[in-house]
Amino acid sequence: MNSYHGSDFSLDFLIGLLMSILSGIVVSFVLGLMVMFLPGISQAGEIENERVSEYVKKGDVSSGSVLLRTDKPGLYQQAPTLKTDVHMRVSGMLVRTRVVQRFKNPGNEWMEGLYVFPLPDKAAVDHLRMRIGDRVIEGKIKERQEAKKIYAKAKSEGRKASLVEQERPNIFTNSIANIGPGETISVEIEYQQTLHLDKDKFRLRFPMVVAPRYIPGKPVAVKEEVTQFSGSGWVHNTDQVKDASRITPPVSLGATGKINPVTLRVDLNAGFPIVSLQSSYHRINKEVQSASEMTVTLQDEQVPADRDFELVWQPDRGQIPRAALFSERKGNENYLMLMVMPPDPEQTQQQVLNREVIYVIDTSGSMGGTSIEQARRALDYAIKDLKQGDYFNIIQFNSYTSQLFDQSKPVESSYVNQALRYVKSLKASGGTEMATALHAALDHKDDKGLVRQVVFLTDGSIGNEDALFSIIKKNLADTRLFTVGIGSAPNSHFMHKAALYGRGSYTYIGKIQEVDEKMSALFRKIQMPVLSGLEVQWPDNIKVEMWPERLPDLYAGEPLMLTAKLPILKDNIVIKGKRSQQDWQFSMPLLTDHQSKGVSVLWARDKIAHLMDRLREGDSLDVIKKGVVDLALEHHLVSKYTSLVAVDVTPTRPITESLSSKALKVNLPAGWQKNKVFASLPQTATDSFWDMLMGFLLILLGCLLSLHFQRKNLHGA
Amino acid sequence: MVHKPFLVAGICIALIGASLFSNGVYIQAKALLAQHLLQTAWQQTLQGGVKVKPWSWADTWPLARLRVPSQNIDMIILEGASGSSLAFAPGHLLGTASPGDQGVSLISAHRDTHFAFLRNVKIGDSINIQNSRDETSEYEIVSMEIKDASQVPIPVHTSNRSIMLVTCYPFDSLRAGGSLRYIVYAIEKNNGERSVHSGEV
Repeated sequence: MNSYHGSDFSLDFLIGLLMSILSGIVVSFVLGLMVMFLPGISQAGEIENERVSEYVKKGDVSSGSVLLRTDKPGLYQQAPTLKTDVHMRVSGMLVRTRVVQRFKNPGNEWMEGLYVFPLPDKAAVDHLRMRIGDRVIEGKIKERQEAKKIYAKAKSEGRKASLVEQERPNIFTNSIANIGPGETISVEIEYQQTLHLDKDKFRLRFPMVVAPRYIPGKPVAVKEEVTQFSGSGWVHNTDQVKDASRITPPVSLGATGKINPVTLRVDLNAGFPIVSLQSSYHRINKEVQSASEMTVTLQDEQVPADRDFELVWQPDRGQIPRAALFSERKGNENYLMLMVMPPDPEQTQQQVLNREVIYVIDTSGSMGGTSIEQARRALDYAIKDLKQGDYFNIIQFNSYTSQLFDQSKPVESSYVNQALRYVKSLKASGGTEMATALHAALDHKDDKGLVRQVVFLTDGSIGNEDALFSIIKKNLADTRLFTVGIGSAPNSHFMHKAALYGRGSYTYIGKIQEVDEKMSALFRKIQMPVLSGLEVQWPDNIKVEMWPERLPDLYAGEPLMLTAKLPILKDNIVIKGKRSQQDWQFSMPLLTDHQSKGVSVLWARDKIAHLMDRLREGDSLDVIKKGVVDLALEHHLVSKYTSLVAVDVTPTRPITESLSSKALKVNLPAGWQKNKVFASLPQTATDSFWDMLMGFLLILLGCLLSLHFQRKNLHGA
Repeated sequence: MVHKPFLVAGICIALIGASLFSNGVYIQAKALLAQHLLQTAWQQTLQGGVKVKPWSWADTWPLARLRVPSQNIDMIILEGASGSSLAFAPGHLLGTASPGDQGVSLISAHRDTHFAFLRNVKIGDSINIQNSRDETSEYEIVSMEIKDASQVPIPVHTSNRSIMLVTCYPFDSLRAGGSLRYIVYAIEKNNGERSVHSGEV
């Protein structure tokens, strides 16, 4: 070997070099092929072991499309896409809304779409229509389990079907079966509601997205993967939120921009001349027909479904109706809706009592971004609004609850300054363990003997509403609880019911510019109820069913609203109450000149709400369920126990074709920060084995070349 | 007599191979050895030390101890899930609950080093977490799932005490990269009540 040192190597060296480079390329090519195939092989092995719940093969998906669980391993599918058209017709205090959801299947396989969407919490959903091309199929109201069965049968037989179920008073699910490749199915949902009147402003709200909810509790055992929509949410069901997976639709976090476009149109017939009209969070176009009639559309034509829409209008001051009565005759019954505006509090100078105010602020992850700014500003306003002689404290909660002072402090500059600094330092992150915060806020052990009020600032993004309501009810005593709904997509059901159980009131803040106006209105309100001890006297010898059963105290600017069912309309209705120590009375004749369609469903919706309250208070489930089902079936209403289902007659999907289910994604609400609610995962693999394998192969190659040399050498020798 | 180039090339290639191979071995060895080096810092943490750095230039510190009896696993977890800390130990993802605390605590590690064992865990297996206050909580594995991290949100905004052990998937893939994750979800066996902390400003 040594004898060859220093001898000529020009041409042969070059050839050798080329050969080794070539073999290196061949080896890396072979390795590359192995790498491409190995993951596939290993995945197949995993499937056989049944340890894998979802089968995915990366690389075939263009960005923005949605991974889909399919029967055929290794295949992707895109979920149906959605466009929504909203049409609201306002007439006086009544609103009829039609929501048209258009589901399009962009793929080439048959699909089932599952869409979780919000509606106003007091919406009486009474109509479902499915449109396939020119054909229209009317939905029928059925007991929930029965509706599910009808839907499942149609789905398996290849017929088109739509099923609308209620998960919460303000969260619904629409399932649409057998959308063919390239096909579009329109589903129309209609509901009735009343306007919100506060001070002299009418407010109409339309929620567009179900915000990610915090789900407390211990996950319950995960069963088999289910094909039905019960596990499509991003969280497991827990002992505290048994339907968590049904209220947590997948969230679109990709860089592809906002999805689910919405168009919106409001035909407004106010019934009185309108002096001002504004949209709180969207730009609008107005088309004026007369002093009291106009049509409102979105200026952007389409907006992403990522925040509530709100329209606010105001009549001339002199024109504000003091009372309004709407009635509808159905069968042998008359249904009434009555609105009475109590007299303005300004007329009677009330003595302002000193208060103990507990401010509770939600600093969980969902409050990150613009919400926490709004909440901090609102708290800042609230603290500066406190009067000499008041006591106050601040409680914040996320995964844990903590409070500024161990007990309420008097309004003195040192405490106020400390509080203002504390508010400035508040940051949002972590969970939303609201129960501990409510317990802390409603703890009466250091009672100061003052009027005690809790002002609760939150977006209400939790899934355990009922448990929280019962905490409020049990611990309220003489405290009054006021909710301030923060952010772009607050949970209206929580805000309203918590305030109702808290015997207080609620307001919403959706942008920083609203803070001062809304907070000052709230504080004017919470000085003291304007009317209390309200009672209604109906004409003698008439059987009346009225909701709410017991009338709440009214705060400044709030109207009294009630619905009733009675066999005949005659004589007068008299409402009595106390107004700053003095008796107050109002009476009006039970007569209306025209029929208002939809009053009966509003009454039925109120009664269902009342029955559900009784269930929370411990009434038997069987009794309540039967009551709700009977009522809902009679009035064609969606409830927790009844659903609307529309089924096509003829099958369209050939039985040989398979059907895959996919939950539609929803937007993250405007202003939210995704990393506060969802984790972004780090890269968790190294190239160590690749390095070792490559290294090993290269060593092998090197050895082979050397051996080759040795053989040649021997031959040559 | 003219084939010497084969020898030179062979030796060169073998050397490159050896360095690559040793790099791979180094990654594995670092992952193994670091766990022993972290012991001292962890013991000091348990004695009441705060953010004890395992070596002077470290930007991380031991946070908790993870044990999986069924797999004979006993590891120290570092704070933060950056590439530099994951080379030494599983890392706790900042922004999620601290291991052993209320909320979801997300711990990730490389699938070819510390979390290679995840492929063998089963539903019902126990996981023990010892935190820096020397409190140990026991968790039970309730699910294993594969998710596409770029498509499916991983919720941290949910649930009482639970941990997610996350690593890249598939386990046998030779190269790093890809957005699939293997997620082992475990919940605490006895969910304790939490009291209100008050007083701090």
